[in-house]
Amino acid sequence: MERTLTNFIQALRNAEVRISTAETLDAVSVVERVGYRDRAFLKRSLSLVLPKTKEEKETFDTCFDQFFRFEDVKSQSGRGEGSDGEDGEESQGDGAGGAGGERDGLPQQQAGKKSKGKAKGKPRDRDLLADEEAEEDLGPGEMAQATSTLGKLLMANSRVELSVAMANAGEAVDVREIQVFTQKGLFARRMMDEMGLGELNREIADLKEAPQVPSRRLGQELGRRRDWLREEVRDYVERQFLLHADASGKRLREELLRKVKLSNVEHRSFRLIQEIVYKMAKRLATMHSRRKKVFKRGQLNLPRTLRNNMAYDGAIFDLHWKSVKVDRPRVFAICDVSGSVANYARFMLMFLYSLEEVMPKVRSFAFSSDLAEVTELFERNNIEDAISKVLRDYSGGSTDYGQALKDFKRNCLDDVDNRTTIIILGDARNNYGENHQEILKEMYDRAKRVIWLNPESKNAWNVGDSVMRTYGAYCHQVDECNSLMHLERVVGNLLKQQST
Amino acid sequence: MADIDNITASVERIKAAFESHNYICSDQIATAVYLAYHLHKPILIEGPPGVGKTELAKTTSELFELPLIRLQCYEGLDEAKAIYEWKYGKQLLYTQVLKETLDEVLQGAKGFAESVNRLHEFGDIFFSEEFLEPRPLLKALRQEDGCVLLIDEVDKSDHEFESLLLEILSDFQVSIPEIGTVKAVAEPPMVFLTSNNTREISDALKRRCLHLYIPFPDQELEQRIIHARVPEIPPELQRQLVAFIQELRELDLKKVPAISETIDWARTLLLLHTESLDPKLVRDTLNVILKFQEDIINVDAEITAITNKITAAGR
Repeated sequence: MERTLTNFIQALRNAEVRISTAETLDAVSVVERVGYRDRAFLKRSLSLVLPKTKEEKETFDTCFDQFFRFEDVKSQSGRGEGSDGEDGEESQGDGAGGAGGERDGLPQQQAGKKSKGKAKGKPRDRDLLADEEAEEDLGPGEMAQATSTLGKLLMANSRVELSVAMANAGEAVDVREIQVFTQKGLFARRMMDEMGLGELNREIADLKEAPQVPSRRLGQELGRRRDWLREEVRDYVERQFLLHADASGKRLREELLRKVKLSNVEHRSFRLIQEIVYKMAKRLATMHSRRKKVFKRGQLNLPRTLRNNMAYDGAIFDLHWKSVKVDRPRVFAICDVSGSVANYARFMLMFLYSLEEVMPKVRSFAFSSDLAEVTELFERNNIEDAISKVLRDYSGGSTDYGQALKDFKRNCLDDVDNRTTIIILGDARNNYGENHQEILKEMYDRAKRVIWLNPESKNAWNVGDSVMRTYGAYCHQVDECNSLMHLERVVGNLLKQQST
Repeated sequence: MADIDNITASVERIKAAFESHNYICSDQIATAVYLAYHLHKPILIEGPPGVGKTELAKTTSELFELPLIRLQCYEGLDEAKAIYEWKYGKQLLYTQVLKETLDEVLQGAKGFAESVNRLHEFGDIFFSEEFLEPRPLLKALRQEDGCVLLIDEVDKSDHEFESLLLEILSDFQVSIPEIGTVKAVAEPPMVFLTSNNTREISDALKRRCLHLYIPFPDQELEQRIIHARVPEIPPELQRQLVAFIQELRELDLKKVPAISETIDWARTLLLLHTESLDPKLVRDTLNVILKFQEDIINVDAEITAITNKITAAGR
């Protein structure tokens, strides 16, 4: 039982619901309390313990349905037991026959021939089965008790218990190791064997020959349910294939995308990248969302202490210390959005604005030749729209860093103070224009930090029209930044430095 | 004393019991209460404002006939206000008394060492239970028959405060350096934490809780809630106003109306002896359900369309 649960949790983790060991233990105690009988109840209960955000709950819902999906035994058998409706019986037989796999129907076939001898020996299994079902239908009435383990389970009408048994069988044959599509039949058969198909088949064969009506009726019912079970097992294997093979594939892809150069990202992967960016931003945000307070131990806040101790007759009991609140970082992002760097700018802006929770004061500027503030665009639109608008409006024209710096000086150098961090994203390829590094120096003097992120790899710097060396002299930090991993590291450091 | 065991025997009973207290809850909510009670776990409730997060705790306390101890969180809340504090005034008073009777106390003491020893005895007394001022969390642990502890809007508190909560949430105990560890006296309290998600709650805290997300109710559930809370309202009007609110939630608003607003609106309409919604009336009472001028202006244009749609659906 517990293995099923841990497998389910594994599948959840695959689907990126973060579940700790403590939560697994909670889930175990929940299952002990709730049991596997009531599926909806189990789902509701587990959804309280395992997923811990709204988004995770949605993932959980789909995962649970996939993992524990099981056709309703009751409704199936209800159809089988119905006293009227030849049609129902017919179709039931058909379905069963159609579902019959390799070894299917053999014992049943024999049983049918022996007990009645009326089977016409039609060439095809399906017809034979249908005939037999129609003829042999013994109607509703009392039934004997099943004796084999699987038989009992099938007759118990508890689909959740059945699904647990199935999951256990799946575990025994290592169904999660399934790699390729073609293995599905093999695994399904192994699982049926594991669940005790042999024993059940023997029981059915015996029952069909039994003289008492209730026994024969049971045999018939069992046969029906066995075929239905076979279908289920196939579905189960299929799902396992999707669940495990799919998730590891996605993880691999994500891992790859984190490291790949952003300019090489294909357009169709943008969505995935966006997801990753949000996820990374989320993680940084949770890590740094604490309010930053630094207590300078040893410095007494005299006015406050006196005020607070007035009630104690001026005796000083309750000491208050001076504390310093560290502001959240104020970030100015200046992005080169000309053709070569545009993609990097896209993801950096995405990253910065996804961090709104911890960095509420991002102002962003875009330039290729002229520089303009685009903060407002981001306030009014959602991130993706804003980014595409920025790229549309500003990415034309050849790069001119000198002009951009001059524009920056004119527009908002006055807003830069010693709490501001300036991040410049660009390849420093100035088309042999004027550099105006004196403005950068001015920025360097005023700002808390100036960080230059260059998407080109280090050995391409200072080659050709790249003037990284000139600009680099006036930066606190110069970094190569061309993949999501780099980006995460830079922004993470930024937040960390602010918090000390 | 309410028969708690009887109420919590099954999810259905919990649901029925809540309904008898005019709190209409979904299966999910009832399951959460059921598990919280049986597994002794706190519930962290998240959801948009006004869906009855706080109300759930209040109703539970009514239902179980246990006292409700409430801790409202805000920025700067610390252990002195949440767990315990020393009664400084009393300590000061006793020191004064001690000062005056110092001679008596030290009478007959031979030598300095013995005098100091005698004084030490007093020192311990000053930091004993006598001088302890229990704040909500400690109070909750000390309730003889158990209680319902509501830690409201935990997302408003500081990050450090969350860490303070961890001990009480996982082990139902608090540590006071001068005294030692205080454990829950008898039955551990039922703990509810609510959060409006203004910031991300830390994983450590989440891990210790059952996580319940209460969304806006669907139309049917909301109608039942209105019926339970404002039973006097005619059924047709009730249907219309719930449908109207549900439509509003689809729009892009700064603050979408919650259940509490629906209830307020229902009361308002009842007061005005309304029988059916019409655009003018809606326009006049819109400020009951929308709390931003911007939203009111935005919705204004849509009112006629929505009202017509709803009244047409009723026919």
